[in-house]
Amino acid sequence: MAKVLGKPIKRKEDPKLITGHGQFTDDIKLPGMLFAAMKRSGLAHAKIKTINTDQALNHPGVVAVYTGKDVQDKIKPIRSIWLVPGCDLIPKDRVPLAVDKVNYAGEAVAMVIAESRYVARDALDLIEVEYEELPAVVHQEAALAESAPIIYEDVPQNIAFTWKAGEVPEEVFANAEVVVNQRLVEQRVIANPMETRGAVAQYNPGSGDLTIWCTTQNPHIHRMTYADALGVPETKLRIIAPDMGGGFGAKIAVYTEEAVVALAAMELNQPVKWIEDRQEHFLATSHARDQVITTELAGTKDGKILAVRAKNIANLGAYLSTMGAGVPTIDFGLMITGAYDIPHAAAETIGVYTNTTPTDAYRGAGKPEASFQIERIINLYADKIGMDPIEVRKKNLVAKVPYTNAMGCNYDSGDYHGTLAKALETIDYAALRKEQEDARNNGRLLGIGISTYVELCGLGPSKVAGAIGFGGGLWENSTIRVHPSGKVTVFTGASPHGQGEGTTFAQVVAEKFGIPVEDIELVSGDTLMISMGWGTYGSRTTPVAGGALAIAADRIVEKAKLIAAHELEVTVDDLDFSDGVFSVKGQPEKHRTFKEIAWSANNAWNLPDGMEPALEGQCFFDPPDFVYPFGAHICVVEVDPDTGVVELKRYVSVDDVGRIINPMIVEGQVHGGLAQGIGQALWEQSVYSDKGQLLSGTFMDYTMPKAKFFPKFESSFVESPSPVNQLGAKGVGETGTTAAPSAIVNAVMDALAPFGVKDLEMPLTPEKVWRAIHDGRKG
Amino acid sequence: MKIEHKYSFKLPREVVWKYIQDSQVLRSALPGCQSFEERSDGVYLAEMGLNVGPIKGLFTTEVKQTNQIPPSSYRLIVRGKGKPGDVDATADMFIKEAGDGAQVTCVADVQVTGVLASVGQRVMGGVAKIILSQFFKAAEKEMIKEMNRV
Repeated sequence: MAKVLGKPIKRKEDPKLITGHGQFTDDIKLPGMLFAAMKRSGLAHAKIKTINTDQALNHPGVVAVYTGKDVQDKIKPIRSIWLVPGCDLIPKDRVPLAVDKVNYAGEAVAMVIAESRYVARDALDLIEVEYEELPAVVHQEAALAESAPIIYEDVPQNIAFTWKAGEVPEEVFANAEVVVNQRLVEQRVIANPMETRGAVAQYNPGSGDLTIWCTTQNPHIHRMTYADALGVPETKLRIIAPDMGGGFGAKIAVYTEEAVVALAAMELNQPVKWIEDRQEHFLATSHARDQVITTELAGTKDGKILAVRAKNIANLGAYLSTMGAGVPTIDFGLMITGAYDIPHAAAETIGVYTNTTPTDAYRGAGKPEASFQIERIINLYADKIGMDPIEVRKKNLVAKVPYTNAMGCNYDSGDYHGTLAKALETIDYAALRKEQEDARNNGRLLGIGISTYVELCGLGPSKVAGAIGFGGGLWENSTIRVHPSGKVTVFTGASPHGQGEGTTFAQVVAEKFGIPVEDIELVSGDTLMISMGWGTYGSRTTPVAGGALAIAADRIVEKAKLIAAHELEVTVDDLDFSDGVFSVKGQPEKHRTFKEIAWSANNAWNLPDGMEPALEGQCFFDPPDFVYPFGAHICVVEVDPDTGVVELKRYVSVDDVGRIINPMIVEGQVHGGLAQGIGQALWEQSVYSDKGQLLSGTFMDYTMPKAKFFPKFESSFVESPSPVNQLGAKGVGETGTTAAPSAIVNAVMDALAPFGVKDLEMPLTPEKVWRAIHDGRKG
Repeated sequence: MKIEHKYSFKLPREVVWKYIQDSQVLRSALPGCQSFEERSDGVYLAEMGLNVGPIKGLFTTEVKQTNQIPPSSYRLIVRGKGKPGDVDATADMFIKEAGDGAQVTCVADVQVTGVLASVGQRVMGGVAKIILSQFFKAAEKEMIKEMNRV
């Protein structure tokens, strides 16, 4: 059996998906199925005076219309799962359908159930809602002003929480030779998976069983929340995440639509389907980032960083989303020192409610923001002391791991200087600086940008989850079932939805058992099939669920060995196990294959005394700590001085994501993350009018990156196994979004240096860049 | 959103002033006008069918004309409601002499909601100009008709 761990084998999932045989939520068609459509508020902040549904109800094909009043006593508000402690958090839960007041444009106020999707959509126009418009507040800094409209009477100044971590002694800043500070804006962006959200609910009134197929990254969290909201026991509620066209964090959140659809299915006793269209997605699915971060750095004149402090004003939107409070606090604040040995750090985050779509996790969730502020402030510091930004990094990068940062995070493994050295060598930094100088002399604007990032991944130890107010565990469950034929089904509580664990997990098991990858199937995303688990986010699937998988596989090998020894009449110590064969040491002709033992274990005709039949292994793995992928990204841009267009010419990434199980999948994850990270830096932005109208509500207005926007990514890897899980994996899904924005902005600022430009807000659109050049020329 | 549009009438300023607020002219010249009535308080109620790109549907509109300074300017306050969203607009109309004719400049501040905002915003300026052009052209025709009738 050839070794398969570390091999770039093609994804087992893909033939089905690329031949149109995937089963997505919208592919589920049940007899008698009805269709739901949501009436959404056109105003950002208004009292609901009346809702008239008569005309809609009389429309042919309409079965029912629900308003907020109809459902308020039947469905509880959808609670946030992450109630960050110690910050006076005032959580504002989403209500299933707005009752008295709408708090953002796009909030659902009524639901139509009809015999077809098109009738349901048409009937929305027949619902008359009379509003009394209230002044809206969109920007988080404006929301803090004394004169700002108040969204909730019990939330003064719209402040949901004030969270603090770490401390920097005053004298460090007071006595520092150099202090740099900068206000940095992480603009609001929207995750746009190919598949929007959707749900199908089916109820059996005889048994009381309710099944909801929906687009979720964490079905068990959805089950927990909807069971509570709908008053259905967990034993009667089954959540199934079928094939999913991506999530990127936007499908972590537990929303309201799925719950009202389920209620309709129960009351009407017919299955109900709701599929979000792209316009709804822009309005009603979590937005992300939207943090205004002011970072201050204290250092010496010769480049040693002494302290960093960051104040983050985070826009939570109109309600506290599922992980809305955790993202800009824990996920952000604990990592503000980045990959550097900085003795003192302090973070403060003010969470603010506004009349906008709620914000939640998006690929990286807090870490891209943390990385952006430290990588940008370091460049500004380097500029101020007249040092090359690479030299400042070399002077401050963590020298030796394990390393505990100022906030108490334990960076697990790897050589932080090594990835930087490799990236510099790949891009030939010295030659590049020379090229830049020549280009400048010819009036061309080349820029070189760097980011030496680190991120906190592999969520995480459950006792930490409890301490930080996360409303659940973060351990993971993997179960391996060996069938009589020797074929294997793996069940995992993580819920991969495009990340390729159907393949990587098969590689792990194939390596352990010495059987072909084709013999192993992965089952995930079904609360009835999987006892418990916490889902896929925070780059945790391979480190945590994979960690559980490796241990479960070892347990099976151990039992199989006992059976083989029993059958061969030797002791286990007399046996070797390799390439799927248990053989007696020195007598290789005496052997049993893994397949033979699978049959023996399942028929149980002749097992060792006291041994239970079957061959199944399970592990509930609670990792001792987080994992910390890191690396160095360097890119080259050229800015057209006449148009302001930024051309990305080269992008080199060197990442240490721990042990790599499938390099092809890992590379794909890096490329996808880079596309989104570069997208944020250069093109993407969710824009509201002052009155809270979303102006970027289509792909005509919101720039989704396309393949032709990018050069060929030059990605390579360094492998330092993490000590916190058996596989040594660190997680790779979020490296690109964490590293790329600052690398790109640093490059563009480097290109614009001759014009005295120090900082521009993302996205670096041609207009913004052209104006900066134009202003720079005027002096 | 701010919208500015100019139109040159080949009619004297006084004629333009006299007829541009005339209910008969408005009824005939408003694009897609399906009903038009004047309320006792001087507010006009109009139903207009619009169909320009994503901005499509029947809009129920209230139009109020205020701040008249003959013959040079007046203000229109428009509140429209339609399936794609609501429109709130304040438009200042300036009429000045230009050669033998008159030039009307419309300077409007427009607020929209719903799909009009999230989808229509990008094309709104263009659409508004098309609608205004249609209106002015049709109004000029009606004015000539009215003058001939007198």
